[in-house]
Amino acid sequence: MAGAAEFVEADNAEAIIARIETKSRTIESLLKQYKHVEALKTALEGSPPKTLDERCKSANWIVVHRALMAIKDIDGMLNALDVEYYDTLMKYLYRGLSTGDRPTCDQCLKIHEKLTERAGLGCILRCLTDTLNTV
Amino acid sequence: MAVVDAHRFAESITCHAWSPDHSMVALCPNNNEVHIYKSSQDQWERLHVLEKHDQIVSGIDWSSKSNKIVTVSHDRNSYVWNLEGGEWVPTLVILRLNRAALCVQWSPKENKFAVGSGAKTVCICYYEQENNWWVSKLIRKRHESSVTNVAWHPNNILLATTSTDGKCRVFSTFIKGVDTKDPKAGSPAESKFGEQILQLDLSYSWAFGVKWSPSGNTLAYVGHSSMIYFVDDVGPSPLAQSVAFRDLPLRDVLFISEKMVIGVGYDSNPMVFAADDTGIWSFIRYIGEKKAASSGSSYSSQFSEAFGKFYGQSKSATANDASESSKSRGGVHDNCINSIVPLNKAGSLKVMRFSTSGLDGKIAIWNLENMEEELGQQF
Repeated sequence: MAGAAEFVEADNAEAIIARIETKSRTIESLLKQYKHVEALKTALEGSPPKTLDERCKSANWIVVHRALMAIKDIDGMLNALDVEYYDTLMKYLYRGLSTGDRPTCDQCLKIHEKLTERAGLGCILRCLTDTLNTV
Repeated sequence: MAVVDAHRFAESITCHAWSPDHSMVALCPNNNEVHIYKSSQDQWERLHVLEKHDQIVSGIDWSSKSNKIVTVSHDRNSYVWNLEGGEWVPTLVILRLNRAALCVQWSPKENKFAVGSGAKTVCICYYEQENNWWVSKLIRKRHESSVTNVAWHPNNILLATTSTDGKCRVFSTFIKGVDTKDPKAGSPAESKFGEQILQLDLSYSWAFGVKWSPSGNTLAYVGHSSMIYFVDDVGPSPLAQSVAFRDLPLRDVLFISEKMVIGVGYDSNPMVFAADDTGIWSFIRYIGEKKAASSGSSYSSQFSEAFGKFYGQSKSATANDASESSKSRGGVHDNCINSIVPLNKAGSLKVMRFSTSGLDGKIAIWNLENMEEELGQQF
């Protein structure tokens, strides 16, 4: 069962990366139109990718990171973002914090504070305890 | 107010159970003893100390019909205590475990009890008349980690378990000679001993408390990821729902009725979940409401003074950030609640009273009778 899943995944990884590339182009054009929230939504869509392939996860992180760093009005962004994205966003915030990169961490911490206010500690717990759907 | 009585018995309480008439409570004060207290005129008087275990007692259950107490402990043993001439006399039950026993529950008919353990097994124990001995039968397969909680289906055959491998499972515990085949029962009841009826993979992290609804149609269990799971139609095609909530995870659950569940856990304030007419479950509120301002209008004025006192502490805390106010809101419990026990009247399907105990060493008794309006729900 597990063997079969891995086999499918190897095939799948290319398809997922192709999809992320398309997503990346959409996000760039959205960012040019100053649609930051739309860009982030697009980035978070279909995440975390249903695979254990690290390349896919990294590729998706790059896309999310691009959209995340463009956000200026955090409250406005959270208002516009649907609640079901909160858990995924939290996971990417922790990924951002783990990079150790100063501007990324600054931005992630700012969003983390606001997101925790809204989504509560439960959101952090879900992100920390989920070892299967990692981003 | 929902809380009828709250009393601090010890530094910390691992588990508790009530006598059949609810006048006595057996509890473990986080050591190898079980203390039995009797309530008399607003006082709690210690009647007995059951000393037989060598390590922390992790589970107690008091059977309501036969008045027997079963205890399990980290010392891997279990005792069945019987009251003989004013003294509690223990009978050792050999569980054949190589890890700690973690939880115990009498079956509805009280002819069996189930023990969950750290040895990835569940023991089903039953009494053998000819040998005057409790026998333990093990369900060894399936569990990939410690069994944290067990719950009996009202039919006395099905047993639900939660485990730290994140799964909730339902087993048949049919034992020849102990259980009789019920011609009216459905197919699950006819399965062999230890057969797995269902495995639920809803949680990605540790699963803790599990309970059946009074009819046995719905199953609820909680995960360490601040989620609670509801399963209808337990069988080949179960209908599952996951409900995420915003605060700290739950440790145990209790069905108040078919459509209402109380969850207790790290947030130290019991949460109410309910199903609407279409069967969709959602978080309703805390029993001791933490947002005094938003809920204030729904309480009648005679309560306001008491509520003022109750929220005296929490009002000062609201200025702080969200994480701090959840700690110091001045609720009944001020630490993790790890168990919730129903206090039914005999023969009643609705649970209007229940008790909670936790790491703060308190046992609180809650009454929902005057809460119906506040909860705005049909019980």
